[in-house]
Amino acid sequence: MRIAVLLSAGRHPVSGAAVLPRLEAQAIRIATRLAEAHGLHAGPDAAHGLHDGPDAAYGLHAGPDAAYGLHAGPDAAYGLHAGPDAAAVADALGQGLARIEHIVLAEGADPVPALAARLAATAPTLVLAGRRSQGGDESGIVPYMLAAALDRPLIPDVVSVAPGEESGTLRLDQSLGRGALRRLVVRGPVVATVHPDAPAALAYAFGQARRGVIEPLGPIDPPGIAAPAAAIEERPYRRRPKLVKGAPTGGSAAERLKAATGESGSAASGRLLVDPDPDEAAREILAYLRGIGVVAPARSATAGPKGG
Amino acid sequence: MTRNRRDPRAERAAIQVASVRGASGPARPRYDRTAKGTAKAAGGRPRRDPRSERAGQQVPGANRPRYDLSQIVHGERPVLAETRPRPAPEAASKILVVEDPAFLVAVVPDATGGRLSAHDRQVLGAARTLAGRDGGVVVVSIGPCESCGPAGADRHLALEDAGADPASRAARVTAALAALTPRHVLFPESRDGGDLARRVAVRMGAALFDNAEVVAAASLVRPARGRRVEQRAAPGLLASVAPDAVADYAGAPREARPLTVDLAPAAGPTSAILSAERIPADPATVPLGLAEFVISAGNGVHDLDTFRQLVGALHATPGASRVLCDAGLMPRHSQVGASGTVLAATCYVALGISGAPQHLQGVAGCEHVVAVNTDLHAAMIERAGLAIVKDAQEVMPALLRLLAQEAQRDAGDQM
Repeated sequence: MRIAVLLSAGRHPVSGAAVLPRLEAQAIRIATRLAEAHGLHAGPDAAHGLHDGPDAAYGLHAGPDAAYGLHAGPDAAYGLHAGPDAAAVADALGQGLARIEHIVLAEGADPVPALAARLAATAPTLVLAGRRSQGGDESGIVPYMLAAALDRPLIPDVVSVAPGEESGTLRLDQSLGRGALRRLVVRGPVVATVHPDAPAALAYAFGQARRGVIEPLGPIDPPGIAAPAAAIEERPYRRRPKLVKGAPTGGSAAERLKAATGESGSAASGRLLVDPDPDEAAREILAYLRGIGVVAPARSATAGPKGG
Repeated sequence: MTRNRRDPRAERAAIQVASVRGASGPARPRYDRTAKGTAKAAGGRPRRDPRSERAGQQVPGANRPRYDLSQIVHGERPVLAETRPRPAPEAASKILVVEDPAFLVAVVPDATGGRLSAHDRQVLGAARTLAGRDGGVVVVSIGPCESCGPAGADRHLALEDAGADPASRAARVTAALAALTPRHVLFPESRDGGDLARRVAVRMGAALFDNAEVVAAASLVRPARGRRVEQRAAPGLLASVAPDAVADYAGAPREARPLTVDLAPAAGPTSAILSAERIPADPATVPLGLAEFVISAGNGVHDLDTFRQLVGALHATPGASRVLCDAGLMPRHSQVGASGTVLAATCYVALGISGAPQHLQGVAGCEHVVAVNTDLHAAMIERAGLAIVKDAQEVMPALLRLLAQEAQRDAGDQM
């Protein structure tokens, strides 16, 4: 199984230094664990003495060096970067990738045609990407354009990937926010973007970073000129006040402050019970929680009024 | 001209009370300092009372205090008339109708569960800004969507639900937009809305101006390069609007006239998605920052076993105050507050927590707060929507008893 992780030249949001975006580091963890699990269960080189046992499927327990040494072949996760400079993504080697393919592009060129051509040639089963670049235009449209160019489905907001029960299928867990998931079983090659709720990236390892290789792929024949962007004017960023929910328009600063600290909503009209009977307090609390809807209503209450 | 010279001794003698001789020794001299007129007569000018003067200058009828400083009021006479009368609130707001809009601005809301979210309303507000007086705002919702009119929609096109596959939803929205030919299309930059916007942009081959923070008829503004620069462009065909950046529509309600568009039936199921299954979050293991319903214990809770039973019975996520985490009674990752986790929960129940400022910071985003505490003057009691001044140790078993009774009754009903 080939897994490509798209790497972008990220900039740190505060310092502006070159950095690997967090989501891409999380994508690398997902990709290496999937390659490992796949290699151990079905791959041709599954037989090896070091990692047999029930824990072997989990990348956390397997020794990192052996695992990556084993899967550095074509059956592995690798990075793909298109841009002028590969040093920007060298950090990804230390996160666990053994190999990064680097498509040399001119500064400011559109990376989508070059990436699409390379991905069409290598045909990985899974292409993982972050949600949007960090420090660039940050439009987040590259995975969508790639999926359209490759004619593959795009699965957004993925937190974990596992091989499906049938061969050729993948089981992807998609985050719906607040910890809820949607489990999709998908056939064939897919493009997926990673959600911030995915497991945290592994620690940077200096030895891996030294052993990893970056393969320059030479300039791919110049793709069509990038679509002429609409006239976009750039200025230094100016922070604008966020809307304060719940504050009346034309209200005073004191009212906005109350709305911001949460004292104007339910708290302003709050109920106060001083020293009630514990059972009465319990009934009040339960009725309140059911009124909000965080606790399911009593079944006897929904079934209808009950005598006695 | 000079004032009369004061004679303090004589003044004091004038207000001395005729003393009653007590049982022990000579009586102390006593003075009646409340006697009116003595001080005035002696001092000349009456004493000023700035507070009552200020109160007298207050203009009645405003919802924030306004003062008319041109009126100099002596004494406690109030200002007679309001200087600037406020417009009376309209009794019945008329429904605005745009019969023949010059152009259309389409809004594709998330509309989860058939209702507009707060973010959707902001996008509708932005669309009204772009539409101006002549244009019309059309809501293109997937599935039904209620109360579009008060939120500022002139037309409403409800597409039939195309299933969970986002690609087929994008195809339907693209087809509907091709039929409507709007001048601008706005999406919310949310989890689903941002995804749909990009799919539609790729399908239509148009540029998407995403995450716009300022929406005006002249230009849209979005941040870029880690908020170092802002990009500004005239409104194009597709744009998505950042959350909490644009105000809701505040004018009179619109009609939201239903529209119908003839669309080709959805193409056959060519989707690569073989199955989709929703897995609800497990409240016991979900990270505290993502949890929807959190019950926290503080120093007023000693019986943590009962607390854990209660949390399990209500399907909540357990939290704790700093004191319990420092004492090692609860794990550190369950600490709520500035040095622990800042919550994004809908409801927060604080048992035996007085509410230190650092703790309240962690709760600031919670919409509903329930507090149980013995101290009437605790900050948490003031913050709470339902505050109960009672020992949490007594309320927890009572809640468990109540839940057990209900479960018993339910079981009895099913027999």
